[in-house]
Amino acid sequence: MSRRLRRRVSRKGKEKVVAHGYTEFEEEVSTSERNGHVDWTCLPDDTVIQLFSCLNYRDRASLASACKTWRCLSASPCLWNSLDLRAHRCDSTMASLLASRCMNLQKLRFRGAESADAIIFLQARSLREITGDYCRKITDATLSVIAARHELLECLQLGPDFCERITSDAVKQIAFCCPKLTKLRLSGIRDVQGDAINALGKHCPHLTDVGFLDCLKVDEVALGNVASLRFLSVAGTSNVKWGVVSHVWHKLPNLVGLDVSRADVGPAAVSRLLISSQSLKVLCALNCPVLEGDANFAVPKIKGKSLLAHFTDIFEGITSLFADTTSKGKTVFLDWRNSKKTHKSMDEMMTWFEWILSHSLLRSAENNPQGLDDFWLKQGAPLLLILMQSSQEDVQERAATGLATFVVIDDEHASIDRGRAEAVMRDGGIRLLLDLAKSWREGLQSEAAKAIANLSVNVNVAKAVAEEGGIDILASLARSMNRLVAEEAAGGLWNLSVGEEHKGAIAEAGGVKALVDLIFKWSSGGDGVLERAAGALANLAADDKCSMEVALAGGVHALVMLARNCKFEGVQEQAARALANLAAHGDSNGNNAAVGQEVGALEALVQLTRSPHEGVRQEAAGALWNLSFDDRNREAIASAGGVEALVALAQTCSNASPGLQERAAGALWGLSVSEANSVAIGREGGVAPLIALARSDAEDVHETAAGALWNLAFNPGNALRIVEEGGVPALVHLCSSSVSKMARFMAALALAYMFDGRMDEYALVGTSSESTSKIVSLDGSRRMALKHIEAFILMFSDRQAFTAAASSSAPAALAEVTEGARIQEAGHLRCSGAEIGRFISMLKNPSVLKACAAFALLQFTIPGGRHALHHAKLMQNAGAARVLRATAAAATAPLEAKIFARIVLRNLEHHQAESSKGI
Amino acid sequence: MASSRKITLRSSDGESFEVEEAVAVESQTIKHMIEDDCADNAIPLPNVTSKILAKVIEYCKKHVDASKAEDRVNDEDLKAWDAAFIKVDQVDQATLFDLILAANYLNIKSLLDLTCQTVADMIKGNLFPVRNEWLNFTFSIANRELVLVCLTEWVAHRRLFCS
Repeated sequence: MSRRLRRRVSRKGKEKVVAHGYTEFEEEVSTSERNGHVDWTCLPDDTVIQLFSCLNYRDRASLASACKTWRCLSASPCLWNSLDLRAHRCDSTMASLLASRCMNLQKLRFRGAESADAIIFLQARSLREITGDYCRKITDATLSVIAARHELLECLQLGPDFCERITSDAVKQIAFCCPKLTKLRLSGIRDVQGDAINALGKHCPHLTDVGFLDCLKVDEVALGNVASLRFLSVAGTSNVKWGVVSHVWHKLPNLVGLDVSRADVGPAAVSRLLISSQSLKVLCALNCPVLEGDANFAVPKIKGKSLLAHFTDIFEGITSLFADTTSKGKTVFLDWRNSKKTHKSMDEMMTWFEWILSHSLLRSAENNPQGLDDFWLKQGAPLLLILMQSSQEDVQERAATGLATFVVIDDEHASIDRGRAEAVMRDGGIRLLLDLAKSWREGLQSEAAKAIANLSVNVNVAKAVAEEGGIDILASLARSMNRLVAEEAAGGLWNLSVGEEHKGAIAEAGGVKALVDLIFKWSSGGDGVLERAAGALANLAADDKCSMEVALAGGVHALVMLARNCKFEGVQEQAARALANLAAHGDSNGNNAAVGQEVGALEALVQLTRSPHEGVRQEAAGALWNLSFDDRNREAIASAGGVEALVALAQTCSNASPGLQERAAGALWGLSVSEANSVAIGREGGVAPLIALARSDAEDVHETAAGALWNLAFNPGNALRIVEEGGVPALVHLCSSSVSKMARFMAALALAYMFDGRMDEYALVGTSSESTSKIVSLDGSRRMALKHIEAFILMFSDRQAFTAAASSSAPAALAEVTEGARIQEAGHLRCSGAEIGRFISMLKNPSVLKACAAFALLQFTIPGGRHALHHAKLMQNAGAARVLRATAAAATAPLEAKIFARIVLRNLEHHQAESSKGI
Repeated sequence: MASSRKITLRSSDGESFEVEEAVAVESQTIKHMIEDDCADNAIPLPNVTSKILAKVIEYCKKHVDASKAEDRVNDEDLKAWDAAFIKVDQVDQATLFDLILAANYLNIKSLLDLTCQTVADMIKGNLFPVRNEWLNFTFSIANRELVLVCLTEWVAHRRLFCS
């Protein structure tokens, strides 16, 4: 070995320059090159094989491409004794391609009936172990052929889904073909008949472990005749005649373990089996309602035998089986695993027990029956954690899935049981899960990632996951070529990206890029992975910095592609939400415009507002609302048919969730910023639904509706429509009684636009015969509106401060008035020149509108407001100062108008000074 | 320790290291040499440089010390120590490579496991430039898997686990 290495190195040495730092080694036998580049291909063969064995098939394949020797080594039989095909849809073509590797294949895991059909094409005649899940559609014919082609088969497991199409005929076939069978576990067969079981007993002398789980009927008497049985599970099987069982099964001479979980076994049968069987050591009866319902049942205490149920101490029960043990409580499993395994019978029993326990716990977790809280906290969670450390991969997987499942309270609303989640965390479960996630086994990776995802709904767990390095692990799993792994990892990143805490870390770990790549990788199939990737990106995009990363990674294109092409509603919803969040940063980054410029983006979102799914409509409307911030987007949305679509949405959302109502009104608010859109909205019939939404009790809904009506009312035609549709009482109501100051403010401004005179001219021109009656009714509305506008202004006018400000010109007095009048959020409103001009001309209005206009201009120019400077400039251009001075000095004007006008003047001076400083 | 006998190991570049027998016999190769009475003088290790031998000895020492105190907390500590020992940013590829060869030659299973796992992790994380050129080869299920993955029925069943 060493000589070969030396020779290779000398050959290499000629080709490469030796770095200075290592010259002292030059004469020495150096097995590696010293310039940092190592020729890994000169590793010893056995080490290369060890390396391969730490990797999954894909990494093995890429490693095998390094050189010819490695390619040969990668085909070594010892690397191909076990194959997990679950992540792939395996058909006969693929199976034939794999056949050359499968000569010595011992273990096979597959998923689905189609893969089952392909198994024979692997030509793996030495297969000992076949495990399949999702086998609902697997048929007798398929199973019989599998049995016939693999006569060395020792272990066959199909489940946990019900194999509904398998009958006793196939079981008989297995018995005939596989004389070496030791383990047979099948789930969900309708009727396991006596002749099939008898065939097993007759032809399979080594059959020690049988499970007929969740079957409808099993021939108890025949089972009692299979003398070789050591372990038997009929968990979940119904229609068992327990009277017969207790008289037959105790005669099974070798029976060590019996599992009757989830069955309707009663105390009498349990006691009798425990007492009268000579060999029985463990009777597992988890989740047996009859047994648990009997308050008088006393567990028979027999040395060397244990009943394991929800109401017994399972750890203690197991401990008592070890005669020579010093272990106590929870350490029994670990001690057993670390022991030298001298007791073959105990090892077999513990291995079996781990398997059936993982099965039963997962079932309990899935069904989540009431009243198990105590069990889960004290026994279930610790057991799952211990099972995660089992040496059986499928037990580990089920335990991780169990952890993912038992914390779920409400699937729809993604809520989990805090106590259970924190119990997992307390017992070191996060570390264990992350270790599993790091293993090369993809089944473990995906189940562990799923558990991490679900548990991370709890903020404390999320924090622990982040602290233990989980974000890096999930980000790397999200890059997995295995869709199931990537999907669960994306789910984990989704849950961790909730809130502000971990967004930065996810971006730093390369998570953003990984998630965007997922969308491209699985764009043509895989709703689960796409939904989770888009959901995670949506959360991340809520953060300004992360949203830039999303855009940088090509996220805009990816998400728009989903919004356009994907047919799954869950994906559409998350993609729209992600686009909404990307566009939510206004002018602080360029994403808003970027989304709008992406081909087909706005059209797709407009289309999605017509989705039959409420969530999709809501998020699409939200996205359009945010996107309408940008002037060009606003016009583009309108020309993509956005006005019609959103009016239609507003018209049909009267019974929808507040979230949808808010966004529908919000999108119309955003669009109506331009008067052309505003006119279109009025023409399409948008006024009536907005008035209806303005009547909503939900603050967010009526606030946005008030905003939309305010914008619409700028146009006299719309103003008239609002009056005609009964909008005045609705706005008056908002203006006087909403809990939101903003809603009150915008309702007042809407009313002010409506009654500052422009509508009257419009109404006179537009009508003929009934004009008199209309004018009369308009007069009534005007009086009502003005009365409430006045009341609104007075609400923000502190008498004392006003008197002080009137009698003194001290800045402090005015500042106090400003403080009392200020509406914080109004600083976000941005007005056009036309709107500012309108308020300025309103200052000349003799009625209360004079005060209202001054009040509005005050809000829009308060120093520090987001658009204050912009408004100040517009006012300067319009020559507002002169009008304001006139208002402030007018003898007849109300006190509020005069004081507010003075404050606005001061604001303008302030901005002027600021901007001249800037120059 | 029952035996405090010292063993001298000589590296390929001639440097001598004196270690306790218990530490030396972590290496199955050395153990066999001692059993065969070949260890009267210094044991020459022509395939291991002094730099690498020092690291190997450091590793064995730690593991011998750890095995004296047998409890589970210590197990965790040892794992952490191993992780730090082989940390990517401290051990360059050349050292890692030499450590693997040394572990293989000296037959120290736990060190071989550790180093191989480290390389495997690097491969998984794509931190490992095997070769730039992609040799012309026919075997690779990786290439095919790209087309094989496809949506199948079980997606519907998984809803219960969804977050």
